[in-house]
Amino acid sequence: MNTATATTDFPTTPFVASTAGPVNTRSRRLDLAGVPAAIRSEWIKLRSLRSNRAIFLLAIVAGVLMSWILATLVRTDPYDHKPFTVAGSFMVSSWFTLVLTIIAGILMYTSEVQHGTLANSVAAQPARWVLVAGKGVVLTAFGLAMGIVGMAAGFASAVASGMDMGDTSGVVATAAWTLVLTSLGALLGLGIGMIVRHSSAAVSAALVWMFVIENLVRSMAPVNLSRLMPFSAATGMLAIRSAGDTPATLAARLSRTQDAFLFAGFTAAAIVIGTALLYRRDAD
Amino acid sequence: MITVSHLTKRYGNRLAVSDMTFDVAAGRVTGFVGPNGAGKSTTMRMMVGLTRPDQGDVRYHGVSYTDLVHPTRVVGSVLDAGAMHPGRTARNHLQAMAALSCIPARRVEEVLHEVGLDTAADQRAGGFSLGMRQRLALAGALLGRPDVLLLDEPSNGLDPDGIRWLRNSLSEFAAKGGTVFVSSHLIGELAMFADDLVVVGGGTLLAAETVAATLARGETTVIVRTTDASELARLLDRHDIVVGIDGDRLTVTGTTLAAVSKIAFDHRIHVIEITESSRSLEEILLDMTGASAEFVAA
Repeated sequence: MNTATATTDFPTTPFVASTAGPVNTRSRRLDLAGVPAAIRSEWIKLRSLRSNRAIFLLAIVAGVLMSWILATLVRTDPYDHKPFTVAGSFMVSSWFTLVLTIIAGILMYTSEVQHGTLANSVAAQPARWVLVAGKGVVLTAFGLAMGIVGMAAGFASAVASGMDMGDTSGVVATAAWTLVLTSLGALLGLGIGMIVRHSSAAVSAALVWMFVIENLVRSMAPVNLSRLMPFSAATGMLAIRSAGDTPATLAARLSRTQDAFLFAGFTAAAIVIGTALLYRRDAD
Repeated sequence: MITVSHLTKRYGNRLAVSDMTFDVAAGRVTGFVGPNGAGKSTTMRMMVGLTRPDQGDVRYHGVSYTDLVHPTRVVGSVLDAGAMHPGRTARNHLQAMAALSCIPARRVEEVLHEVGLDTAADQRAGGFSLGMRQRLALAGALLGRPDVLLLDEPSNGLDPDGIRWLRNSLSEFAAKGGTVFVSSHLIGELAMFADDLVVVGGGTLLAAETVAATLARGETTVIVRTTDASELARLLDRHDIVVGIDGDRLTVTGTTLAAVSKIAFDHRIHVIEITESSRSLEEILLDMTGASAEFVAA
């Protein structure tokens, strides 16, 4: 006699209801204690996605490629006609790194909305600011790491490509400001993501603002106004010149510290508005 | 024990949930039923703090959800079985959830086993079938060893084996003192394991009662085929029993098979066939919610 056996991968152990006693009421101090847990959770989310590893890798590739292009194809600075040096070009990819950190920040939030996991997080942590704090800490570290590897790759590539070292007196300061910028960039991305809540719309909005709107404003608005734009401040922090710069715009530049406060101000505003909207809107 | 009190939510001019008040008892499985647009999802979202009610509140053992120290250790919920990043593995998905609620990582392995996903733990959720997603979502709900489970359409995408497993698991969870509140459009399925029902329509509560009480709302119909239909109809009418005649066939309501057969026997009326039919839970609920259905097929 033939017998057929039905197989199933459903286990036979039942779900077990908790036998815990009466529940306690949450205190506001416990919200604060939830921040480390939120950081651990966000770190797991960040490192478990291939897209974040790809973004990280892109920062390295950009550093290598840009220094190599300057060393072997461009060779001399178009503004002062002097040969590029390691000290002057190791952070040349940082603008691209900034774009990547902004995108990483945006995606960290919008992908949660898009895939519905934000609801899981809000259900687990009703104090929504704790989730923002967790994301913020992890993104700051991610932006910092991207800035470091981008500059390290640029430095190594410049040296390997045979550039002269040049004047190294400003290297540490430039590197420090660059790291501040890439960290803030990731946070700015988080704020933009929280406000827009849609991946492609948020990334498009950020890129259009960076590459179109600010350039239009710079070409039309008075220097004293255009220097207050967020990515003008970012350029100032890196102490680099952009294609639209004129002697007048260069002369009107703010100090690096002022530019950093300005960029941080825009970032803080985006985070505050985003957090307020997170409280106001339903969690999807 | 869940206490829902005067829950109200308005979106613009539309009243999604209106003054909803009911209790969900511990140790029982409570079904949450109603047509599309009845306010089920909005109610469940308000029950876990995802949507802010305009009025009213929900309490678990007397504490509102947002005041629970570790909400997921008291209430496990699945409101959207697809809520997972397709690029993340099942294990990573659960590890992130566990970390947020300060749940030890070893619990992740336990729930993966409980829902039968051990072998798929390192697969990305994007490659999961709907049934596997449903089980992963359920694993997330079980992470905190909650004593309350809130599940929105948990059997969607499960095969018959999976549905039976879910039904048995939820029944055992309730039998051990847990509270199960489960919405489903598969009313027949729900009838097999729910003890109580909360019926909603048009954003309002229509009934909150035991399944037995809901079934009692349905009328019993006795169908009789006889050689003397008109005479039997006359006799039944004399007993104030409502009868419909169609040839040799009588449709009798408001009484029992035993009563009809006794009258026929007492008056020596030849009965060819006699059957009793009760209305299904699905029919009863459709009647209850019919007037409030937002979308009705033409």
